[in-house]
Amino acid sequence: MEVQLFGIIAEKAGATSIAIEAGSLSELRSVLRHRIPDFAKLSHAIAVDRCIVQDDRELTGSEEIAVLPPFAGG
Amino acid sequence: MIEEKKHKVKDIFVDGPIDPAFVGTSIAKHATRMDIGAHEIFLGQVRADIAVDGNRTSTVKAIEYSTYRDMALERMTAIREEAFTKWPSMTCLHVYHSIGLVPAGRLCFMVFASAPHRMAAREAVAWVVDQVKKELPIFGKEVLDDSTHVWKRNE
Repeated sequence: MEVQLFGIIAEKAGATSIAIEAGSLSELRSVLRHRIPDFAKLSHAIAVDRCIVQDDRELTGSEEIAVLPPFAGG
Repeated sequence: MIEEKKHKVKDIFVDGPIDPAFVGTSIAKHATRMDIGAHEIFLGQVRADIAVDGNRTSTVKAIEYSTYRDMALERMTAIREEAFTKWPSMTCLHVYHSIGLVPAGRLCFMVFASAPHRMAAREAVAWVVDQVKKELPIFGKEVLDDSTHVWKRNE
C-alpha cells in the first residue's frame, strides 16, 4: 500500500509517500520506525480512510493510509 | 435560504495569503440578505514569533502551510454540519485557510458567520476556529530569517 506522509514526517522520509506492505497498524508502525529516521521520536497520528485510528487493527491493503504530524492550522 | 444550509464539500483552501479586500467583498455579498442582523469574523494573521534554539534566536518570516486535503475537507464538512446543528439560526458560515507561503503580517485564516442576532454568529465563530485548529490536518513550516525552519504545532 502507498502510505501518504505529511509535514515533518515527509521531510524526514524525504518523500511524500512510501510503499509499505503491512497486515496491521502495529506492523505498519514498526516498518515506519525502520524506514523513517527518528520516527519513534516524532509525534504523529495515523489516519485510515481519513479517520484517525488509535488502536491496532488489521489492514487489507485497500485502505487510504496517512501519517500525520501535529496539526498547525490557524 | 434552505440551499445555503446544505453541506456539500466545499474547498476552503486559498493559495497564499488571504487578501484583506476579499474580506470586504465577502461582507458586501451579504447585503441582499435582509434576514441577517449580525456578522462575526475571525481573521488569523501570521505572527513574527521569535524562535529560540540554544543561544541562537531567529524570527519567523513566513509560514508555509500544507494539508492532507481530502481529510481536511471531510472534517470541515462535519464541523460545518455540527455548527449548523448547534446554532440553527445561523444564516451562513464561510471558512478559508491559506495553503503555501504566507509572510508574517499577512492573513492565513478566516471564519465568517452571519445570523439574525449576534450571539449565534459570535459563538459559532469561536467554536469553529477552535475546531479547525484542533481537527483539520493542516501543517505549518515556520520559515526563519536565518534560512532554517521549524515545524509549528498547535497546543
